[in-house]
Amino acid sequence: MAEVIQKKLQAELEKYQQLQKDVSKSMTARQKLEAQFTENNIVKEELGLLDSQNTVYKLIGPVLVKQDLDEAKATVAKRLEYINGEIQRYETLLKDMEKKSEQHREVLSSLQQEYQRAQGLPAGKV
Amino acid sequence: MAAAGNAKRCNDLPRGVERLKEEHRKVVKDCRSKIEHWKKVEKDYESLQERLKTLPDKLSYDIMVPFGPLAFMPGKLVHTNELTVLLGDNWFAKCSAKQADALVEHRKTHVNKTLDDLQKVMKNFQNRADFTDDLEKLSSATDGTGDFVDIREEVVNEEEVTKGKHRLALKPNSKPKQEYLLELQQVKDDGEVKKGPSEEELWARLDELELQEEMQDERYRLDSTDTNGEDTTSSSSEEEKEADCSNSVQLNGHQEENGWGPTSQTNSSIVPQPEVDEENECEEETGNSLPTIYFSHTVEPKKVRINTGKNTTLKFSERKEQKEQAKRKKKSGKSNGHSPHESYKFTTPADIYRVFVDLVNGELMPRKSILKSRSRENSVCSDTSESSTADFEERRAAFGRTMSHDEATHSDTSDGITEEESPTGMSPRSNGHFEAFTGTVIEKDPMPSSIPHLTIAPPALPTIPERKLEELGPEVPQEPPKRMSKFKATRLQQK
Repeated sequence: MAEVIQKKLQAELEKYQQLQKDVSKSMTARQKLEAQFTENNIVKEELGLLDSQNTVYKLIGPVLVKQDLDEAKATVAKRLEYINGEIQRYETLLKDMEKKSEQHREVLSSLQQEYQRAQGLPAGKV
Repeated sequence: MAAAGNAKRCNDLPRGVERLKEEHRKVVKDCRSKIEHWKKVEKDYESLQERLKTLPDKLSYDIMVPFGPLAFMPGKLVHTNELTVLLGDNWFAKCSAKQADALVEHRKTHVNKTLDDLQKVMKNFQNRADFTDDLEKLSSATDGTGDFVDIREEVVNEEEVTKGKHRLALKPNSKPKQEYLLELQQVKDDGEVKKGPSEEELWARLDELELQEEMQDERYRLDSTDTNGEDTTSSSSEEEKEADCSNSVQLNGHQEENGWGPTSQTNSSIVPQPEVDEENECEEETGNSLPTIYFSHTVEPKKVRINTGKNTTLKFSERKEQKEQAKRKKKSGKSNGHSPHESYKFTTPADIYRVFVDLVNGELMPRKSILKSRSRENSVCSDTSESSTADFEERRAAFGRTMSHDEATHSDTSDGITEEESPTGMSPRSNGHFEAFTGTVIEKDPMPSSIPHLTIAPPALPTIPERKLEELGPEVPQEPPKRMSKFKATRLQQK
């Protein structure tokens, strides 16, 4: 009886740990996105400070490619939107994973209690 | 096992506190390092600005150009005003030195903002860490070792503290609702008839709350003294309790509701006493296992009797109470013919109306509407607490005849209550109870001619009811014909 519960506990624990890893991965990805978001915001603002007389370049690999100022602004804006969408997606994903991990946690705690009870019973019997 | 669990918890507490402090310290350290980093960045930007300012001074500079990590080579710095600035995210822009300066300025604001946020976070966590330290000291102080002392003040009656926040007193009463439902169901099982208790309760509750709101408003307007305020609060709570009682026809429910009453009563020593009396009385009436208290309006009398000139507090509360009583009677009459706190039984709804009789110019007239407050003459007016006593006497007469005393209890003062109670054999206690309230002042006796013994000086109020009770029988037939208007009576008295 105790062994069965122990096995179940182990399985649950592994699932929970896996879920936690996924959660942390999503967290890091989201943080990266946050950083990109702030950076692109700064770029947008600084592009706003420039006028059309300045030439804008984009670094693609080792090459600096000339870009039009307006084009650059549009591109940066689009990128910002994309980043926002990604952040939202990651947020929902994170929430789901949180909920799932909560459920797993509850299952784990109940299993633990059972296990302890089972442990206590055999000890009592013995 | 339980003991072991407790011991473990005790050990966990300091460990938990330690862990908490550790986490706090970690966060604070993190913040410090981040702040360091950003401060460096800011300094870098400042030096860059300096350089930008001086760069366009010369057309070209002779410099040592770094060649790889280890070598330098002499060279010239040309096009000193043309700068390619990294805007971020692999975007570059060619700008003049001044434009670059502007860009740098813009970035610096951003850095400063981040710095400020970090500072705030650090301070926040620092405070938290300090607080946990203090808490630890405090908890250890309970052992008698720390410097902190926990100061506690036992508040018996919360209502006293919150003069204006009458609603707070209601919260304890919200609990009984559930108890009601439970008990009512219990009673149902016992076979008593009760239709839709929860619904009625809800409606009663709504009515109560409405009344309370009105009461509150009036109180805000009329409250002149703290004592009055306190009394009104207590009365409001009483009302509420009564209103709550109204819904539950069961003695259980009533008593449960009353049980709440004493807990939220004001601290005036006088106040609890009538409640106690009420409780005692109610215990008799109830045949339930729970020794709960039914309590109908105990504090009211005192309030009324304090003759502070134009004391209007009681008037409104009385009206409300009357209304409540009326409603309750109605409901109780409709739902079931028994009213727990009456020795008289209502078998039909019409019986209710028999209770609500007004004394109009010496005649007993059935009231047109129970819900409406009585006419000015008959209602308790602010300027004449005598009128209240007159009312009370009218009621007494009415009750003597109709054998129903609900109205009196709620409309007037504990006198009414005592009146009821004395027939049931509670007079000694009520007498004693009233004597305790000699602080209350009963003003004038509206019926000096008919009841000479009633024309006693103010402190006589406590005794008046007693005598009245004694003489109630013989007086009853006499009283109706000798009724006169309250105002006239007061005038007579004043003379």
